[in-house]
Amino acid sequence: MAYKPNLQRTWWLQHRFFRAYMLREATVLPLVFLLCSLLAGVYSLTSADAFIAWQGFMAKPWVIVIHTLALLASFYHALTFFQLFPRVMPIRLGDKSVPAVVMIAAQWSGTLTVIALFLWLFGGGL
Amino acid sequence: MQQFEVLVVGGGGAGLRAAIAAAETAPEGRIALLSKVYPMRSHTVAAEGGAAAVTRADDSYAAHFADTVAGGDWLAEQGVVDYFVKQAYQELVQMEHWGCPWSRQANGDVQVRRFGGMKTERTWFAADKTGFHMLHTLFQTSLKHSNIQRFDEFFVVDLLVNDGEINGVLALEISTGELHAIQAKTVIMATGGAGRVFRFNTNGGIVTGDGMAMAYRHGVALRDMEFVQYHPTGLPGSGILITEASRGEGGVLVNKDGYRYLQDYGLGPETPLGKPENKYMELGPRDKLSQAFWQEQQRGRTGNYNGSDVVYLDLRHLGKDYLYERLPFICDLAKSYVNIDPVTQLIPIRPAVHYTMGGIETNAQTATSIRGLYAVGECASVGLHGANRLGSNSLTELLVFGRLAGEEAMRHARTSAPEMDQTKSAQTLRQWQQKLQTLTASKASGVTWVQLKRELVQTMEDGCGIYRTESGLQASLAKVRQLKQQYQQVQVGDTSRAYNTDLLQCLELEFCLDVAEAIVLASLERRESRGAHQRLDEGMTARNDQDFLRHSQVFFQSQADATLTWQAVDTSLSTPGERAYGAQGQQSEAR
Amino acid sequence: MHKEIQIKRYLPEEHAEPFWQTFRVPYDETTSVLGALNYIKEELDSTVSFRWSCRMAICGSCGYMVNGIPKLGCKDFVRNYPAALRIEPLAHFTVERDLMVAMDEFLQHLEAVKPYLIAEPSEPHKPHRQTPAQLAKYKQFANCINCGLCYAACPQFGLNPEFVGPGAIALAHRYNLDSRDQGKAKRMPVLNTHDGVWSCTFVGFCSDVCPKGVDPAAAVNQGKVESAKSMLIQMFRGGA
Ligand SMILES: Cc1cc2nc3c(=O)[nH]c(=O)nc-3n(C[C@H](O)[C@H](O)[C@H](O)COP(=O)(O)OP(=O)(O)OC[C@H]3O[C@@H](n4cnc5c(N)ncnc54)[C@H](O)[C@@H]3O)c2cc1C
Ligand code: SF4
Ligand code: FES
Repeated sequence: MAYKPNLQRTWWLQHRFFRAYMLREATVLPLVFLLCSLLAGVYSLTSADAFIAWQGFMAKPWVIVIHTLALLASFYHALTFFQLFPRVMPIRLGDKSVPAVVMIAAQWSGTLTVIALFLWLFGGGL
Repeated sequence: MQQFEVLVVGGGGAGLRAAIAAAETAPEGRIALLSKVYPMRSHTVAAEGGAAAVTRADDSYAAHFADTVAGGDWLAEQGVVDYFVKQAYQELVQMEHWGCPWSRQANGDVQVRRFGGMKTERTWFAADKTGFHMLHTLFQTSLKHSNIQRFDEFFVVDLLVNDGEINGVLALEISTGELHAIQAKTVIMATGGAGRVFRFNTNGGIVTGDGMAMAYRHGVALRDMEFVQYHPTGLPGSGILITEASRGEGGVLVNKDGYRYLQDYGLGPETPLGKPENKYMELGPRDKLSQAFWQEQQRGRTGNYNGSDVVYLDLRHLGKDYLYERLPFICDLAKSYVNIDPVTQLIPIRPAVHYTMGGIETNAQTATSIRGLYAVGECASVGLHGANRLGSNSLTELLVFGRLAGEEAMRHARTSAPEMDQTKSAQTLRQWQQKLQTLTASKASGVTWVQLKRELVQTMEDGCGIYRTESGLQASLAKVRQLKQQYQQVQVGDTSRAYNTDLLQCLELEFCLDVAEAIVLASLERRESRGAHQRLDEGMTARNDQDFLRHSQVFFQSQADATLTWQAVDTSLSTPGERAYGAQGQQSEAR
Repeated sequence: MHKEIQIKRYLPEEHAEPFWQTFRVPYDETTSVLGALNYIKEELDSTVSFRWSCRMAICGSCGYMVNGIPKLGCKDFVRNYPAALRIEPLAHFTVERDLMVAMDEFLQHLEAVKPYLIAEPSEPHKPHRQTPAQLAKYKQFANCINCGLCYAACPQFGLNPEFVGPGAIALAHRYNLDSRDQGKAKRMPVLNTHDGVWSCTFVGFCSDVCPKGVDPAAAVNQGKVESAKSMLIQMFRGGA
């Protein structure tokens, strides 16, 4: 005699921790949309008409909204990822382990460097 | 159910070590391990400080022997101590080979720390969770042996004994409420101490003297039961232990005026802050320290925490980094249970009942007076601790004598063919079924174990505490006997079979009552002061070797009061001397 | 001060279904959830069943859900709950009575990962050498008290009881990281499976609820790295 409550479909609504987790997982959705858009762009390069249509599509306000969302989502994902990273790949130097904050800071500075590099390459300087 | 060759009752350090030894002695042998809780819940888990063995080049067996015998006020069995100190190191090495995460020196060697009453650093430790790491290492190692069949959450209620020979045990399967007669050629009792007989103690809720009472009811003597160790540093309220290692690492004790009062009680002179010295001041033995607390209390020099009289443990000078490295668990406990940060604040502490030196009498090979029945660990009295146990000797005891018991039992099982009396077993089973049915027959609220338990622990504290008197002991003995009478009317409110914890606690109380009677009776009859047993009555305040250099043995009488006899002590290797610490100790050694 | 405490009761010998029961319990600054339960058992209703022993957060007996979060009853305090306090048995385990769950479900996984040192000591009478740095590598994972809180926090274990789970994987990892151990090859097959490390989606709640700072999520995800390595090695070996 015993009972075992089944996990309900809504388990992830139960607490803040699970909701934050689901949000992290959900960041993939706008990113998928962005990738599809970019793929379509590459494909449209085969003809001028298609490219113009694609440019029009990319300028639509709702598309811009989703892409902005994708940018935010990727930042959020990076945030969670960077936080988890030191735990998955702890680095030890001699007796002491490298503190997590140092590793997180290093990852962010890497990200910022890449962004700056892109701005310089494509934006014609900072 | 099948018949076992070795059946171990208890999954603490002693029981697990015994089971592993039995399994190694006979890899195809049939071994059962019964425990009323999952093995890793056993109270060995709570031991903090460490385990002793001669380790350093400047140490010797003779020194460990001398510390142990003097620490026990010459009531230890010296042959047993001699065997113990010689086996200790190899057993700790064995633990290392099984993966125990001992703390280390920079070069990778095992680190040893100071401990109260030990002249030299010889205590191995795993941070401040030594018992926890030892227990988990042993439990995990036991999983390697498929011939150890575990019965987790089986509550043993009785032994099956036939004509002075063991036949097995009677156990209640907690999850179903079913009673099983489990046959075995040999049984090893490893059921731990009985600290819960007292109100204020460092023990877990399961430490209720079950095994002691069971063997005792079948005629085995309980030996040296009057010696109950108070630990000087328990947290007020809960009794949770603050390890002695906190003093070994340099913590000091002060009274409400910030004065290091131990120097007033034969433990001085004061050692400089941060320079603890073995056997001086805070590193004196536990009984002396607990007694000093009582004296301070009488003089009104103790402080108060939530209604308890307390003194204070000062660790502040050790600094945050050191504290977090060496005593992380203590920092955590102090924060959670008294809301104190030891880095910046004094920890309020008071003595609490900690350890039962006495127990089921065994010979030097852990065998009891019932053929095939062995006992080991805190439930046993193999004679190692005498009148006072030195901290960190008992964890090693679990290993040294656990191994011995496992080997001896398996060897005995393989060379003997005990007669199994099935009818008698069946009869015992029926009697117990009857008894449990009566206890749980109705929800009628008669006498409950809760009331009786409260009265028991109160009277033990009142009459049988750090200092004892004839009249106090008489009163407690009368009270305990009265409670035993009242227990005959006890009723359990819970009538169900599965997981009836109400019933279990009721049965535990019955064990406690029998053990309590033995403790009080032995305390009353020992009319001298020795080790942990201190009398205030005239003519009894000093040690009296003439009359009392003897073990007490208490025997159970089923319908009458328990009886007591005396037994000679083995002092063949070292004649009784004065037991002194601090500067006095230095002098008497020089002499 | 008094507090209303609700307990999810289950008495299979009397009622087929679990039900809630409310008790009024006095408390002060130092009353733990376990202390409150013991008060209830001793004063109000002796049939309430729960496990406990050490009352100092080291034996691992007293895991319950307190307001939906897995907690050790002896290390969680009534004072932390200004509003209601609801106690339930640990989630994701089979409940056998009141707050008693089938802990065997956890122990089976524990036993499956061979959580013991696998090595031949070179010198039987001498300890191995292990530097503090080598000890520090696995020490945190050796602090697990087998309380099962992480299992109650893990939705993947809730969905798939075959998942070896955070606590057991942390222990496997503890031995894999031990400089004295040579048994990694024997443990990896269990971790490499879908029910091993790969069931984990790094929810991370297990580490949040762990009362001993073991960080089992880290162990599982370090385990994924190890598992990927060991599978690659096997692929190459198999191919060659
Ligand atoms: C807080 C604390 C700190 C300590 N620190 C130290 C230290 O630093 N150094 C040191 O040397 N010593 C220390 N000690 C003492 C030492 O830890 C104990 O003496 C020792 O652990 C006892 O081990 P054991 O195996 O005999 O019993 P336990 O570990 O208590 O195990 C008893 C076993 O018996 C089982 N059992 C009991 N009754 C029954 C029954 N009726 N049916 C079935 N099973 C039953 C239990 O389930 C349990 O598995 C400390 C003790 C305490 C309380
Ligand atoms: S990892 Fe933490 S939460 Fe999980 S069983 Fe171990 S101690 Fe408990
Ligand atoms: S009672 Fe031991 S962990 Fe809570």
